[in-house]
Amino acid sequence: MRVAAGERRAYPLTLLVAFLVVAVALGVRPVSRIDWVLENILVVLFVGFLVLSRRRLPLSDLSYSLIFVYLVLHEIGAHYTYSLVPIDWQTLGFARNHYDRVVHFSFGLLLALPFREWFRTVARTRGFWSYYLPLDVVLASSVAYEIIEWIVAQLVDPAAGIAWLGAQGDDFDAVKDMASGGLGALLAMTAALLVHWRREPGFGAELHESLRVPLTDPMGEVDRRKWKEGAR
Amino acid sequence: MTPSRRYPKVALGLIFVAWIVSGIGAIQPFDWFLESILVMLFVPLLVLTYRRFPLSDLSYTLILIFLCLHLVGAHWAYGAVPIPWEQWGFERNHYDRVVHFSFGLLMSYPIREAFYRIARARGFWGFFLPLDVTLSFSAVYEIIEWLVAAIVSPEAGAAFVGAQGDLFDPIKDMALAGTGAILTMGIAAWMNWRHNPRFRAELEESVAGAR
Repeated sequence: MRVAAGERRAYPLTLLVAFLVVAVALGVRPVSRIDWVLENILVVLFVGFLVLSRRRLPLSDLSYSLIFVYLVLHEIGAHYTYSLVPIDWQTLGFARNHYDRVVHFSFGLLLALPFREWFRTVARTRGFWSYYLPLDVVLASSVAYEIIEWIVAQLVDPAAGIAWLGAQGDDFDAVKDMASGGLGALLAMTAALLVHWRREPGFGAELHESLRVPLTDPMGEVDRRKWKEGAR
Repeated sequence: MTPSRRYPKVALGLIFVAWIVSGIGAIQPFDWFLESILVMLFVPLLVLTYRRFPLSDLSYTLILIFLCLHLVGAHWAYGAVPIPWEQWGFERNHYDRVVHFSFGLLMSYPIREAFYRIARARGFWGFFLPLDVTLSFSAVYEIIEWLVAAIVSPEAGAAFVGAQGDLFDPIKDMALAGTGAILTMGIAAWMNWRHNPRFRAELEESVAGAR
């Protein structure tokens, strides 16, 4: 899992090329061009970020693989404007097309581990917090995503907006989407915790250390007093 | 830190009185009971962790105000809080929205204190993570509401959730909590920037892992 910064690696590059081939193949004749463009704005930003950050914030091969699977699932959705993905949901006993739910779930399941690695490198998050915070970020970004969807729908066309959101007539659609993402992240972080518990020698010590309270002084008004004393 | 502080004890007494008073003549006693589970779990948690993890008077004050606002809602079962919303041009009772906003506005600072002191969320992370936690707690709250509604009664559920016929109700609730948290974290960052001599160094250190 540990990768030295600045190292040249063939595997992430291979994944990038494979992804671009898939994305172009699915982008040649999408069901709706405008929807395909909308769905791909975030992909371009995200892949661009991954390429630019490869030296300073390298991820493990496992994380790059998970991101690859997630983005391919999303590109399939983008090709079919999500609601038209040809899976026979009725035969499987569902009343609606659940492909968007699958991708919401995959967002948590597949991206929680990359988030965890970033937290460990950038914010030096350790122990309990390195399992809790990725789950937290998945939930919070699901919320942010639903808020943005709602605002865009209001700006574009309040009446057509509801159809575009893919709520498919369900009052709890947004809540179920977030719950799917959260459940995926919870599974991924539980799996990571169990693997590290069994395999990592320093696991227990790190967990214990992460729940200690190193700063006994309260903040708030106590901070204010300290800043004043520091300035004098 | 002084070993004996009077303020947290006064705040504890106040919340206890507020809890009792809100229960007297509550318009829906069972709803009041459900709503006050939050107070009955959260306040003992603060008491139990007081010795090892005392929060600042500022945090205790913010928590006290938030819980009191929530108890006012609990007394009137939220939907019947006697504020003349119609006179102000609103079609619905917005008291629940006020409390969602207050959650972000008032609770993000105590969350910041907990994250800063336990999870060592320094610099940028000390301002970003409380916002993040506010949003994710709001999401968990909406998910629990939905589960309870679906289990209790799918038909009556929608009324219980308080969506009041609005498809975007949960999204608006969460957006307000997020706005409240952004405001408070903005104020906290500004105070630190103005008065904390270590602010700049800490901010740079907090993202140095990326270099």
